[in-house]
Amino acid sequence: MDDQACPRCKTTKYRNPSLKLMVNVCGHALCESCVDLLFLKGSGSCPDCNVPLRRNNFRVQLFEDAMVEKEIDIRKRVLKDYNKKEEDFATLREYNDYLEEIETIVYNLTNNIDVVGTNKRIEQYKRDNKEIISKNKAKIGREEVELEEILEIEKQMEDLRRAEIIRMEQEAKKQKIREKEALIDELMFAEGDAKEILNTFAQSKANKPEVLPPVPKVTQFSTGIKFNRGSTQPTIPLIEEGPLYKYEPPIQPDRCGPDPPSIENIISGGYLKHVRAENETEKAGGYKSTLPCLRALQDALAGLYHAS
Amino acid sequence: MEEPILRYEKIDFLGEGQFATVYKARDVKTDKIVAVKKIKIGSRLEAQDGINRTALREIKLLQELQHINLIGLLDVFGQKSNVSLVFDFMDTDLEIIVKDNSIVLTPANVKAYMIMTLRGLEYLHQNWILHRDLKPNNLLINREGILKIGDFGLAKAFGSPTRINTHQVVTRWYRSPELLFGARQYGTGVDMWAIGCILAELLLRVPFLPGESDLDQLSRIFQVFGTPSEETWPGMKGLTDYVQFKQFPPQQLRHIFSAAGDDLIQLMESLLALYPPNRCDCTQALQMTYFSNKPAPSVGSKLPMPSSICKVETEKPSLKRKLLENIDGGSLAKRLQF
Repeated sequence: MDDQACPRCKTTKYRNPSLKLMVNVCGHALCESCVDLLFLKGSGSCPDCNVPLRRNNFRVQLFEDAMVEKEIDIRKRVLKDYNKKEEDFATLREYNDYLEEIETIVYNLTNNIDVVGTNKRIEQYKRDNKEIISKNKAKIGREEVELEEILEIEKQMEDLRRAEIIRMEQEAKKQKIREKEALIDELMFAEGDAKEILNTFAQSKANKPEVLPPVPKVTQFSTGIKFNRGSTQPTIPLIEEGPLYKYEPPIQPDRCGPDPPSIENIISGGYLKHVRAENETEKAGGYKSTLPCLRALQDALAGLYHAS
Repeated sequence: MEEPILRYEKIDFLGEGQFATVYKARDVKTDKIVAVKKIKIGSRLEAQDGINRTALREIKLLQELQHINLIGLLDVFGQKSNVSLVFDFMDTDLEIIVKDNSIVLTPANVKAYMIMTLRGLEYLHQNWILHRDLKPNNLLINREGILKIGDFGLAKAFGSPTRINTHQVVTRWYRSPELLFGARQYGTGVDMWAIGCILAELLLRVPFLPGESDLDQLSRIFQVFGTPSEETWPGMKGLTDYVQFKQFPPQQLRHIFSAAGDDLIQLMESLLALYPPNRCDCTQALQMTYFSNKPAPSVGSKLPMPSSICKVETEKPSLKRKLLENIDGGSLAKRLQF
């Protein structure tokens, strides 16, 4: 039996078949007309528990047990922040502990156990995991987009099929009319026996093969991945395959002299003894005594082979 | 000598800077498009000191430098008391490309820009010249997709053991921490830091460290890389303008650049090392795995261009494509994506 009843006005489903029970975050039910009456101003408090409620948070009760409704609300709110996935954990054990924690929080909030403490815990978690939460939110957003895309494709296919059926029906109708006309023509103008003509017509009709509906073009693999995936997304420039980069030192100009030593040779060859060493501050600014040393050597050696 | 002013036919006005006006012109002799930078003479008082210092630097340095990735100084001529410099004509610069939201920069594009910049800078550093004003605005790009480093107004020779340099160089957002601390003796690190900031900007499409003042710039740097200590940056406290900063913990670059691969993060970390001796130089940077790994750098012609520039050249093909699309009904109603 339907024993749904509004706790305020005591209307039952039996007396008013159009009774709609609504619930809010506190989990106490009210019928639609009581909601209209009590929340005329948009907000008020629950007649059962005096919790302040907003009218637009009321929704139709789907489950008989109002506690379930309340839990759904709470779960939805908690999962918005506790959105880690199994990949975010190193071990299965950690992931299970995490799921356990969510369940504890949801249970606590639903049964009004240590609400303040639990809310604090959620806040703390939010602060600690801000980065991961926002990252996973974006990820979920992408999944939703994909789901929507699939739904869209299904809808398109459905439309296509419907159009195809309508077209075939019309075609069949037209075909029938045409056949009828042909038969009448035949009967009118042909010389042969009317019965025979009828018979041949009936036979040819029976022999006509059933026209198979054309198979709609397959646009995706069985896994649901579309063939031409890129076309619906903003155009991504093709990654042009060029030659890979290989480092080549720049061509040295003709120094017209012997090659100066390399930096390694300058350090190991004792050249640095003859230049002022950099002090701590100069080194902190990025200056090295190898630089002027190399430069001086380059300057000194360049042009030595020059002959006029 | 022929009258140089007749050699260059003014076509268009391109822009005006603090010290110069730039015109687009045609070289009558070679029929090439060039950019003519006319140095402003300024007041009589300034003119007394002779020609402007930045112009002098450009003339002095660029005359001796020849590299595909450096802007070429083609000619210098004087007329009355004016001095004009003739440069290669460049269609756009990296700042315009980064800011153009209709352009998609692929990893291959970024790699190509970085290679061209680093090669130009490597040549510059090998010839003992610091650019000291690297920023996207000074990386010029022509329609063949060749990037050239421009604006040598702040460039200076380095590697002298005694000369004191000014630390008031480089646009603030690209200024290295040692310059912000007032170092007077520095090396190639100042340019490498700027390259790191430019690379970050190419990935983020917004300036990486947009400080509002010199102090704000430093605190932004330390907020990302962590406040250095005497262990991580020995001698830091001896720098002229050193100030104690609040302790910031270092951030993970891979969290800021979530789309970048490990090789790119590695390059960025060595370009943006706080302690200048730890910063890599151009040769070391170019030899890092990021550049030799896939994807290969885009070839010049495949690099994106702002629509205002390629319009003239690609008008015909695009029109053709549209016609083709209409013919085979290829222009299916595009779904709107929100």
